[in-house]
Amino acid sequence: MSIDAPVVTPTAATLRARAAVAQARAFAEADERALDGLVSVRPRSAVPRPQPVWDDAEVLVHEPVGERYRRLVLASNTIAATAQAGQFLMITVPPHGGDTILLPRPMAIHRRRPATTDHPGTVELIYGVVGRGTRALAAVPVGGTLQVTGPLGRGFGFPPGTRSALLIGRGVGVCGVMGAAEDAAAAGIRTTMVLSGQHPDQLLGRSDCAELGVQVIGATDDDGSSDLTFLATRLRGHFDGTTPERTPPGVIMVCGAGVLARLAAELGAHWGVPVQASLEAHMACGLGYCHGCAAPVRTDPSVEGPLVCADGPVFDAAIPVV
Amino acid sequence: MVALLDGTAHPDARAAFFAAASDDLAATALSAVDMSVRIGSLTLNAPVMPASGCFGPDLGALIPVGELGATVTKTVFGSARGGNPVHRLTEVPAGMVNSVGIPSHGPAGYLATLHPRYAALDAPTIISVGGHRIGEYAPVVAALGEHGAAYELNVSCPNLDRDGTDIGSDPAAIREVVAAVRLVTGKPLIVKLPVLVASIAACALAAEEAGADAVCVANSIPAMPLDAQTRRPILGNVIGGLSGPSIKPIVLRLVWLASRAVQIPVIACGGIETVDDALDYFSVGASAVQVGTASFGRPFAAVEIVRGLRRRSLDAGVGSIRELLDLDAPR
Repeated sequence: MSIDAPVVTPTAATLRARAAVAQARAFAEADERALDGLVSVRPRSAVPRPQPVWDDAEVLVHEPVGERYRRLVLASNTIAATAQAGQFLMITVPPHGGDTILLPRPMAIHRRRPATTDHPGTVELIYGVVGRGTRALAAVPVGGTLQVTGPLGRGFGFPPGTRSALLIGRGVGVCGVMGAAEDAAAAGIRTTMVLSGQHPDQLLGRSDCAELGVQVIGATDDDGSSDLTFLATRLRGHFDGTTPERTPPGVIMVCGAGVLARLAAELGAHWGVPVQASLEAHMACGLGYCHGCAAPVRTDPSVEGPLVCADGPVFDAAIPVV
Repeated sequence: MVALLDGTAHPDARAAFFAAASDDLAATALSAVDMSVRIGSLTLNAPVMPASGCFGPDLGALIPVGELGATVTKTVFGSARGGNPVHRLTEVPAGMVNSVGIPSHGPAGYLATLHPRYAALDAPTIISVGGHRIGEYAPVVAALGEHGAAYELNVSCPNLDRDGTDIGSDPAAIREVVAAVRLVTGKPLIVKLPVLVASIAACALAAEEAGADAVCVANSIPAMPLDAQTRRPILGNVIGGLSGPSIKPIVLRLVWLASRAVQIPVIACGGIETVDDALDYFSVGASAVQVGTASFGRPFAAVEIVRGLRRRSLDAGVGSIRELLDLDAPR
């Protein structure tokens, strides 16, 4: 097109697409800003070092969940037996339709079910089909195998004596905190979970919460209940201390958005309780040696900041003291 | 079906892979095929090693590192550096672009934290050394002293402060760096050359004449990935280095040209994923290969190549990779 070509009026579709891109970009930038100064590496003594293996895991279940997500249940005795809440796997995606996916994809372990006499140990993952890698992954049939490495990273840990917990997840970020709900259920910790998402039918984790005895607070963009100010007010009211059930939680764990991590840190400061936030990042190795997944934390230029895979994905989150 | 349900002895595929090592490395196989390669005074048991930056001692738990010829560390610079801003890597069709920026603790930090973990692995440690000025290399090698089984001089990591040009694109600068390092160590020296050079032959020859024991050809290729939706740079650093299968034909040419120019071994590095990729490089003159990007998705890729080379040689009834290639030579 020459520079003096006639001005073309963009179509409505073009304008909508541009607006969506601009909105997504603004959201991503706000989300990253929200993490600024918020997270720090959890003390090494509080978190066991991961002991990963790799395995050729049979696909036992691979099915759609709503319109956006897919559920993947993989058989791996070792990983199911050793995975801790908040840890993740690297999934190596097999070639599909002539497309080869080079880098494995990091995915949170949503559920762990150790082996029984009748069934192999399994891990359950839920992912959104968003790009080349997840499109190719979606084509893997039940009965096929996937090469997986894990469990990886440093996960959530309940402080000693925790009696109640607030978990917050948005989108597939719900999977990041569901392992903590499993641990809480096993330990008799009273748990409330915020399930946040765009539409009510996209909220993941309802059935898991029902199974684990977790009280659910739904928050959607559709009805405005996921709005941060609205949600903060609602949670403060929910835990206003007026009855034993409404005693503020002893710990907050969050995954799925930087802005929610900041909200959790604000609530934690308000109630005087610790907050742990799980972060996401593009990764290549998942073990720490490629240094690809720097956490969005500002440091002295001569010092490398934390890596999401090896120092996280779960970090302590606290409002910086100014 | 799941192997576990069939009652196999191994709890997971990793354990089975380790166990296969002891089967495969049975004395007969080990002695029947000579895969050793000499880099100066250092003899590697196998002509396969990781590419710098694509290996860490953490992998010792996932693969039998002792089957590799060597390990290669992430590049150690003279002073501590934190690396590049977030969004350090992305995948593109048939490749990966990274701009990690090589975080480093400096030689003292490396020796205190990482080196003991490398030294505990069952393979010689080749320490990669970097610098942004000609005079920066020798002090780092001197500080590392006897700890490296060999040193790989990274003159080719794109110097992103200067639009991706590097010391390694200038034969005179290569000569100065190698000569200066040669004065402070008797250990074998490998010079890792960049892709974007006027003459790879001239660069390799400069390294050889200044006292290098091998050249490594090549490194990632400066590249710039954009987000398809926003048309903005994906990487925090805007530009990075392309690696993976898409660069293999480019690097094959360079290895071929370098091999014709020098007598010292040429170590090939560029898009190697399989035993056939390795054989391609051996057939154009390489003496050893480095495996990088492929290891992220398949941590065992380099060990598989070692086993594949031995298996192919055994199956063909030959005792070396060179003989194996002769069988494949065009009639």
